[in-house]
Amino acid sequence: MPPARSSGSPSAPAAAEDEALPVKDRYLKYALLAPALLVCAATLFYPLLQSLVYSTQDWNLGRSPAPEGFAGLANYAALLRDPDFLGSAKVTLLFTLPSVTLTIVVAMAMALLLADNGRLQVNARTLLVIPFAMSPALIGISWRFMLNPEFGVVDAVVRRFLPGLSPVPILSDPVLAMAALIAVDVWHWAPYFMLTFIGALAALPRDTVDAAQVDGAGKVRIFFEIMLPQLWPVLTIAILLKTIFSLKMLDQVVTMTAGGPGVATDTLPHMVYTTAFRFYDIGYASAMAWLLAVVMMGLAMLYSRFVMGSSK
Amino acid sequence: MTAYVNPGLSSLKIDGRRRRRNGRSLRNAAIVFITVLWVLPVLWIMATAFKPPSEAAGLALWFKPTLSNLFASFGVPYLLGSRLLNSILVTAGTLAIAIPVSTAAAYAFSRFRFPGGSAAPLVLLATQFLPPVIIVIPLFVVFRNLGMLDTRLALVIANLSFVVPYATWMIKGFFDGLPVDMEEAAQIDGASRLMALWSVVVPVAVPGIATAAIFSFVVSWNEFFYALVLTRDHAVTLPVALMSARSEQGDAWEIMATMGLFIIAPMLVISRFVQRYFVAGLVSGAVR
Repeated sequence: MPPARSSGSPSAPAAAEDEALPVKDRYLKYALLAPALLVCAATLFYPLLQSLVYSTQDWNLGRSPAPEGFAGLANYAALLRDPDFLGSAKVTLLFTLPSVTLTIVVAMAMALLLADNGRLQVNARTLLVIPFAMSPALIGISWRFMLNPEFGVVDAVVRRFLPGLSPVPILSDPVLAMAALIAVDVWHWAPYFMLTFIGALAALPRDTVDAAQVDGAGKVRIFFEIMLPQLWPVLTIAILLKTIFSLKMLDQVVTMTAGGPGVATDTLPHMVYTTAFRFYDIGYASAMAWLLAVVMMGLAMLYSRFVMGSSK
Repeated sequence: MTAYVNPGLSSLKIDGRRRRRNGRSLRNAAIVFITVLWVLPVLWIMATAFKPPSEAAGLALWFKPTLSNLFASFGVPYLLGSRLLNSILVTAGTLAIAIPVSTAAAYAFSRFRFPGGSAAPLVLLATQFLPPVIIVIPLFVVFRNLGMLDTRLALVIANLSFVVPYATWMIKGFFDGLPVDMEEAAQIDGASRLMALWSVVVPVAVPGIATAAIFSFVVSWNEFFYALVLTRDHAVTLPVALMSARSEQGDAWEIMATMGLFIIAPMLVISRFVQRYFVAGLVSGAVR
C-alpha cells in the first residue's frame, strides 16, 4: 500500500484505521468529496474533454449552431502550417522568457533588500503587495492610460525632463509595446515572488553564512556561492510557476494592447480568444488551445514532481 | 545587507562601521524608491478618479477634487451601480458554494485514503495551470445552448472552476496540520465522524478556511476573462465594465479610474490579510 501522504502528516494514523471504520463512516468520505467532484466534473473535466472533441471538428459557430463534421487531425495539421499561429507562438516566447527572467531577478533583489524585519522593511512589504491584489484587467487598463502619448503621465514626465523624445508612442511601437507588456507583468508579479523568496531566505541555516563571513568572504560571493545553491529548490519551483503564469497571461493583453500594434503582442492565449470569440472558429481555436495546453501540462507535471519531491 | 551580518561580528571591525552606515542609508533609499515605483501608479489612478475630466490628462498634481466622476459613473451609460451589484452577487454566490464544498473535500482528502492517493488534490491544483481559454470555449457553448449567457449564475458556475481547486488545496494544507486526537476523542464519546467534523474540526480550522475564503474573494472579485466572454449587458461585472469606459466616444479615463476605485477599495480594506494569505497561500502551499 502506498503511504497515505507524502509529507507524513498526522493524517497517516487516520488512514490506517480506515478498515476499522463503521460502515456509515466509510461512505462518509465519498459523501464529503461528492460535491467537489461534481463541481470539478462540470466545470473542469467536462470542458477539457469537450474542447478536445471540438478540436477534431470542423465548426464555425457563426455558420452553424452545432459542429459541422469530423475533421480528424486536420485542425492540428493546419495549425502547424499556419504562419499566424507560428508567429503567435514566437510572440508568446518573446514575452515569456524575459518576463520570467526579469520577474525572478527583480523579486530576488527586492527580497534581499526587504528580508530584514525593520520597520521600513515591514511597511514597504505591506505596500508592495497592493498592486498584486489589483485586478489584472485594471492593471492593464491603468497602464494603457498612463502610457498614452497624449494623456499619459509617463509621457508627461518624459516631456518635462527629455522634451526631445516626446511624444513616445509606446503602445503603438511593436518593440516598445512588448517591452511595456513585459515591464507591467514584472511590476505585477515581482512582489508576490519577493514574499516567497523572503520566506525562503529566512529558512536558510545561518551557520554557513556566518562561517563564510568570518573567512572574509564578501556579500556578493556569499550570495552566489553559499545562499544561491541552497535556494535552488525554491527558485526552480518559482521559475516553473512563473513560466506557467506567463504562458497563460491574457487579461493585460486584452486590456493594454489588444494584441497590437498589428500582431506584435498577439500571444497564443489571445489568439485562441480572438479565433474563438471574434471569428467563432471553435474547432480551430480548440486545437490551438490544446497545443498550448500540452506544453503547459508538461510544465505542470514537472511542477508536481518538484512539489512532491520537496515535501518529502 | 545587514540581514546576513552576524551582529556579534560588527564590533570586530571598527573601521567598517561608517561604511556600513553609508550602505544602510543607500539600502533605505533603494527601498523607498522601489516602494514609490510600485505604489505611485496605484495612487495616480485613484487620484484620477477625483480629477475633473479636463485635468485627467497630463501631470496635474494639484487639482480641485470633484465628485462629478462618481455621479457620472453611476448614470447612463456606465451603470456603475448595476455592475457593482453584479460583482457583489457573483462573488458572494461563488464563495457561498465554494467554501463549504471545498472544506468538505479538503477534510476528505486530508483524513481518508482514496484510490489515486495523495496525487488527487495536486492534480486538481494542476488543472489550474491550463490556459483558461480551454475551459471557457465549451462553457460558452453550454451556456449558449441553455440560454444562460449573460447571467450571474453562469459566472458563478464558471468561477467555481478555479476557486474550488485552489480553496480545497489551501484548506487541506491546514487540516493536515491539525492533530487527529480531538476527533478521535469526540468519536470515542459517541459522536459520528460527521458530528466530529462539524463540532470539533471546523471551529479549530476557521483560520485556514478564512485564509482560503480571502483568497477566493480576491480572485473572484478581480476575475475578468470569464466575465468578458460570458456576459454582455445584464451580468457585466466591474472588471469588464472598465472596457466600456474605453469604447464610448473616445476613452473616458476618469470614469475608468472611478470604476477602478471600486475594484481596489475592498482589496485595501483587507490588505492586512492579503500579505498573510500570499505567504500562506498559493506558492507556500505549493512550495511546502
